[in-house]
Amino acid sequence: MRKNVFKIILMTFFSLSIYAQQFSGNVTDENGIPLPGASVIVQGTNSGVVTDFDGNFSIETSMGETLIISFVGYASQSITVNSNSSLNIQLTPDVLLDEVVVTALGISREKKSLGYAVSEISGDNVNTIKDNNLANSLSGKVAGLQVSQSGSLGSSSRIVIRGNNSLGGNTQALIVVDGMPINSSIAGDGEGNQYTQGSNDGGGQPSYEPSISGGGITDINPDDVESVTVLKGPSAAALYGSRAGNGVILITTKKGSRSNKLGVTLKTNLYIDNPMLLPDFQNEYGQGTLGKVFPARGGDTAWTGDSWGARLNGSLQPYYDGSVKSYSAQPDNVKNFFRSAARKITSISLDKGSENGSVRFSYTNNSSESIIEGSDLDSHNFNLRGVADLSEKLSIDAKATYFTQEVTNRASTNGAQGLLGYTYGMPRNLVTNDLRNYQLDNPATPEEFGVITYSDGLVGNPYWMTLHDENTVRRNRFLGFVKINYNFTDWLNAFVRVGADVTHLRDNRILKPGRHFETNGAMRIAENSFGELNSEFLVTANRDLSDNLNMVVNVGGNMSKRTYEGMVNSGRNFKIPTKFFINNLNEIGTPQEFPQSIKKVNSLYGSVNLAYDNFLYLDGSVRNDWSSTLSEDNRSYMYKSVSLSALLNTFIDPSQEFFNLFKVRASIAEVGNDTDPYQLFQTFSVPGAGYLGLTELQSPTVKLNPDLKPETVTSSEFGLELSMLNNRLTLDVAVYDISTKDLIFNIPVPAATGYQFEKTNIGKVTNKGLEIALGGTLLKTNDLSWNSSLFYSKNENTVEELSEGLESFVYNTSTDGNLSIKATEGGSIGDIYGREWTGEVDANGAPIASDVDVYLGNAQPEWLGGWSNSISYKDFNLSFLIDARIGGKIYSQTSADLDEAGASLRSLQYRESGVVLEGINTETGAANTVNISGQDYWTAMSNISENYLYDQDNVRLRELSIGYRIPGVESIGLDSANLQLVGRNLFFFSKEAEDIDPEVMLGTSLGIQGMSHNQMPTLRSIGLNLTLNF
Amino acid sequence: MYNNKNNKMKKINIILCLSLIFAVSCTDDFNEINEQPDALSVSDVSAKFFVTNIQKGLFKPVAGALWFGQIFHQDQYAGQHSGGHSQYAWDGNFGWEYTAWLQEGTNGWLAGYNSSLTSYLRQVGEGGALENDQYYAIGLIMKGLYYQLYTDQVGMIPYSEASDPDIKLPKYDEQIDIYKGVIAELNEAISLIGGNTTTGEGVDLLRENDVIFNGDMQKWKQLANSLKLRMALRAHGAPGEDFASAAASEAISSGVLADSDALFESYNVVSNIWVEHSSYGDIYYGFGEIGQWKMGEPLINALSSVNDPRLSFMSKPSPGGTVTLDITEASESQIAFLKGTLDNAGLILDTDYSWTQTSSELTITMPENTNYVGLPLRLSPNIKGLFNGNLFSSPADIVVNNSNEGKEISPFIVMSAADSHFMIAEAIVKGLASGDAAGHYQTGLEHAMNLWGASLTSDFSSSEMGTLTGSVEEKLEKIATQRWIANYTNGYEAWSIVRDTGYPTSAITTSSDNSIRSLSGEMNGGYANRLRYISSAYTSNADNIQAAVSKQGPDVKTTKLWWAK
Repeated sequence: MRKNVFKIILMTFFSLSIYAQQFSGNVTDENGIPLPGASVIVQGTNSGVVTDFDGNFSIETSMGETLIISFVGYASQSITVNSNSSLNIQLTPDVLLDEVVVTALGISREKKSLGYAVSEISGDNVNTIKDNNLANSLSGKVAGLQVSQSGSLGSSSRIVIRGNNSLGGNTQALIVVDGMPINSSIAGDGEGNQYTQGSNDGGGQPSYEPSISGGGITDINPDDVESVTVLKGPSAAALYGSRAGNGVILITTKKGSRSNKLGVTLKTNLYIDNPMLLPDFQNEYGQGTLGKVFPARGGDTAWTGDSWGARLNGSLQPYYDGSVKSYSAQPDNVKNFFRSAARKITSISLDKGSENGSVRFSYTNNSSESIIEGSDLDSHNFNLRGVADLSEKLSIDAKATYFTQEVTNRASTNGAQGLLGYTYGMPRNLVTNDLRNYQLDNPATPEEFGVITYSDGLVGNPYWMTLHDENTVRRNRFLGFVKINYNFTDWLNAFVRVGADVTHLRDNRILKPGRHFETNGAMRIAENSFGELNSEFLVTANRDLSDNLNMVVNVGGNMSKRTYEGMVNSGRNFKIPTKFFINNLNEIGTPQEFPQSIKKVNSLYGSVNLAYDNFLYLDGSVRNDWSSTLSEDNRSYMYKSVSLSALLNTFIDPSQEFFNLFKVRASIAEVGNDTDPYQLFQTFSVPGAGYLGLTELQSPTVKLNPDLKPETVTSSEFGLELSMLNNRLTLDVAVYDISTKDLIFNIPVPAATGYQFEKTNIGKVTNKGLEIALGGTLLKTNDLSWNSSLFYSKNENTVEELSEGLESFVYNTSTDGNLSIKATEGGSIGDIYGREWTGEVDANGAPIASDVDVYLGNAQPEWLGGWSNSISYKDFNLSFLIDARIGGKIYSQTSADLDEAGASLRSLQYRESGVVLEGINTETGAANTVNISGQDYWTAMSNISENYLYDQDNVRLRELSIGYRIPGVESIGLDSANLQLVGRNLFFFSKEAEDIDPEVMLGTSLGIQGMSHNQMPTLRSIGLNLTLNF
Repeated sequence: MYNNKNNKMKKINIILCLSLIFAVSCTDDFNEINEQPDALSVSDVSAKFFVTNIQKGLFKPVAGALWFGQIFHQDQYAGQHSGGHSQYAWDGNFGWEYTAWLQEGTNGWLAGYNSSLTSYLRQVGEGGALENDQYYAIGLIMKGLYYQLYTDQVGMIPYSEASDPDIKLPKYDEQIDIYKGVIAELNEAISLIGGNTTTGEGVDLLRENDVIFNGDMQKWKQLANSLKLRMALRAHGAPGEDFASAAASEAISSGVLADSDALFESYNVVSNIWVEHSSYGDIYYGFGEIGQWKMGEPLINALSSVNDPRLSFMSKPSPGGTVTLDITEASESQIAFLKGTLDNAGLILDTDYSWTQTSSELTITMPENTNYVGLPLRLSPNIKGLFNGNLFSSPADIVVNNSNEGKEISPFIVMSAADSHFMIAEAIVKGLASGDAAGHYQTGLEHAMNLWGASLTSDFSSSEMGTLTGSVEEKLEKIATQRWIANYTNGYEAWSIVRDTGYPTSAITTSSDNSIRSLSGEMNGGYANRLRYISSAYTSNADNIQAAVSKQGPDVKTTKLWWAK
């Protein structure tokens, strides 16, 4: 089938290529000296060439097409091909960097005119070295942007720009695709019954998201991305309203080229994923306790899963499955649980156009394996985009994207009870493959159905969980819009745009009978639908008021409707334990219904941009929102922003000897933030199954507040942009101060008040920071060029005030109870509190832990840095990204668990000798003399959280690609062919944390940053890309 | 040219106007869409629908509260259940040292319960949307049951300033003031009920939604009096107390719950014990053998030593059989302790069990399902291995039956008729009332037997334990012991009786030898006299809790409460 498609494409190509012809030329600088290495590209296509040593080029193109000739430090030129003759092209140095960026509402602006910070990343930057999640490809490429991953295949990541601005609400950036905000909700789909709507964040969320689903940006196909613009801070985002208070990620997708040549691009990416790192294990002692092989302690008949046994000496010893086996080390048993996983991403895109419009179609298939057997992802993405000029004044732009994905057995990383909780801690003499016998063959009785695993008690078998239990999540998503543009005159135009984003999610989960938990089996089916419909218009007037003064006025409005609905059916105890569907359950739980909830926001906005003499730019914007989630009195609220940009190079360095650009900018903005539906009035809920079949009503535990006001985010920002030495060196510096007050928050109140929480506006949170982006062309010769960029960003978050009597708010407590994540007045969001050793020991000589309220650090990194490089030599291209995260702490409960189980390398210490800890023995009141065994020591230490608090500091080679442009492919009918060898997460230059990747957190919620507990290992991906253009 | 321009300006004006209308007039449906479709407002409901929930919330909480609370703490502190045998997942010191996450289970539930109760009282109270004084009286009695239970676990708690939505930072009241306040509220409830037998008519009529009394208001009044008597007796003799005598005699003359029990029926069907309600069986069987605790040594010995007919109704004999133990690392005192445990249970060597010991192995054989042996409490992790589960008695099936299997599960004992009679006897012995103490003691025994399906045999009623004889102190010890037994499965109250009266002395488990009983953490071998406060109180209401701690004593488990002996 695929072969046939290919044939058709080739035939189409040949029929068209008849019209193509060779066009040649020569490129020189302003003094007529040849410019080798200048790029010549056919506009709107991927076909292009580079000039040779003498500045000559030759390219195959057709009449009427436009060539773009560019060279670093020179202004680009476009030339329409209208004759066969060759042409001499003279490039002039870039006087100013007339870089055009997409800003709020999809308005393209010259970057120099903006009074606030904007970063743009090209599509190549995110689709060359692909991650399944586009968000992860942004890491290290934008100053001020922080991405935290949560691990499993197809899971979402957390994107925060310039710090966390809210205590409980959403603090993640808004994702806007082609001008339309998209839904970023995720639905937790684990046993925790946690279904969240609206935001993928919030204080009320569980610390357990057994498996985090995708959503939002994860559904965007990297191959369709033309560019990504990051609007940082409220001021850039004031026009998007409440959701944009945390910054905006604007994704512009590709359009077809207006060339009448059929453009065909075939891309194949093949990656192999492996764990980048695993914990360090000991390999000297095996399963058992108190230094003995099982059975150790007198009457203890339960198999322990711990590795506190005897020295592994290869002797024959009882084995958990009833056999007798050599008691010897299995150094790679954890590693062997993971597989080398293949990811195959194949895409084809076709585009064609005329002067009146274009069409682009793309299809991408992503067929990926997880490094955990049994877990796979398969997705198909169809994208159709068309633009057409219907008349001189009327044009239309429409897009439809359909995305369908199925993820099977996404690894649940539910802390100690997760798949990896049972994997990392396995006995050191366990042969991984033996675990594949997780159940007797042909079981009949309930006992025979039972799980077979290495330990008695509530311990799972990881193979059972991934190969026997079933979990399938299917997502179907439609994204589309139509935009009709009308140019009234050359200075006035308007458009209306309607966009829809509909996601349907079905999650089936079956726990098979005999399991460690839910011994009679259980199942759960959940359906969730999210919808977002935006209808908007924008009128733009652009006039020169005088010779020196230009004014652009935008007036627009938007109606946004967001919906959520869902249904959950669950139950346990299968009647016939071999088939799994709801009616085969003995206990069917009450269906949970989540009727459609609707949130509407209507908005009107306008902006005025004044440009004076190409050096002074003043922008002002206002927006007013009416939100259905707030009461009539508080429903309407306004945002404002003003920004100023001045290009001082005309005064400082008029002849451009040193500075090509010297821009200072300043902006202030105020953005509001509303809340979720149903937060105003007290109601009663009806629990499904009434006690004794009686109708029961439950009173709310949160005191709601009809007078809830919107949150207010105010920000100010100053920036400096420099371009020097013929634009070979650029610098962009920003300092900002963002302050959020009247935070909408469920403050915990003593239950004695009759409630557990009160929803109210409280407190103030500030974020202050510095961002630096330094870019430069380090080398530029005929054949060789090296472009390099450095990013640095630092953010300081402070909780200025909470509420009277509330000195701190506990977001979450680790499952071992030894650590909690808080927001404390005077501290910052993500403060970590836990236990330290008091310096005393008890009668047994065991260290006594302090209470859990000792400040241990903060979960937010102090600064982030990135260094990206692109080196070209003839047909070769090498690029790499090194990034750094410095400061901030993370609690590795993974490590604590491994120490307690005696599986970690650390646990070798004191194992034979025991230790007499230096400290006061509280029993004797004198210096301690009691020796504690290694096992007891590590059991005690593993409950003292300070021992497992690591710096997040790490520097890694995040991305590396080596590309080769295969020459001479024209002869076989190709425009170009590129081959790339790529790698992600290749190695750490340095890392402080033991056992874990400090960037992988328990989940994406605000309140669980800084905690890690048996997460999936970070993946090291190595791959091959092949791109063919016809 | 000008015309053209004007036209365009007109167009712009029209667009601007349209857009304004578009944004403002489209908010018409905003109030409507912000009404939650799957929730009820006060106009949709009747007060009776809230009664079951406030009862269930206190007597059948979710598994977290039962497991991390009663099973790990109160039942063990009361000496009635015990974990820590060798097949049990947790060491015997579990619950006998402070473990934050365990305690939060109980505390979170107790602190949280107040929100639904307060909400109920607000609705049925004066000016509430569902105002009804009989429902209000039920609410006050529930409030009394709650505060008595809660303050007796931890000590000072917010009471006088609690339940007021305008006070976010309520102060902590001293126990004496809570006791006085609750008794006053019980008096209010008693007078509101007066001669009423029902809550009203039509939608106001409460029947089956009241799981305890099926809407019988006179029974509620008796329960209020029994509770008042319980609190009076507990307060009696505590520092500064001046109300116990009057309260006790008022309660007895008004009429306590003497003929029937206040029981909260156990519901057999539960799909998720963590979010609904749970019974012992959900936890006992939910995790296999490793979750199955044993009968506590004090309770088994208290029953078996006097041939109490309830022994076989409350517990099952030890599974028995042959048990072989590795004793290479066991000390002589540890082995002697094991032997003492069997002997103290009344077992006779070579008759009820055999004991064969070599230097490395100890073999114990006992007949299957015959002997009753309670598991000692607070076993040190160091001795755990010797205490094989087959040697010890388990709770009776009715106590730990699994949900969803159609089997009967014993109810939660809110207040038993037996306890009422024992309390009258106690009041008489203490000189707070007059009457036939011995008669009430025997009536109490009769009810107490019936509660477990046993009957008072003549052998027992004529035995030393069956008759209220001896010195005042001996009488008080007998009454306390019987009240303690009658509250089996209600560890909260059983533990309070031990702490208040000091009886039975066998239930007060302390340690000075970590090779046998656990001696670790802040308790350092001392007895548990209270639970610690919920940790979130230190951040959400810091000043007031600090004030309470400085008055009451350190926030540790060994600090004694106001009324404790």
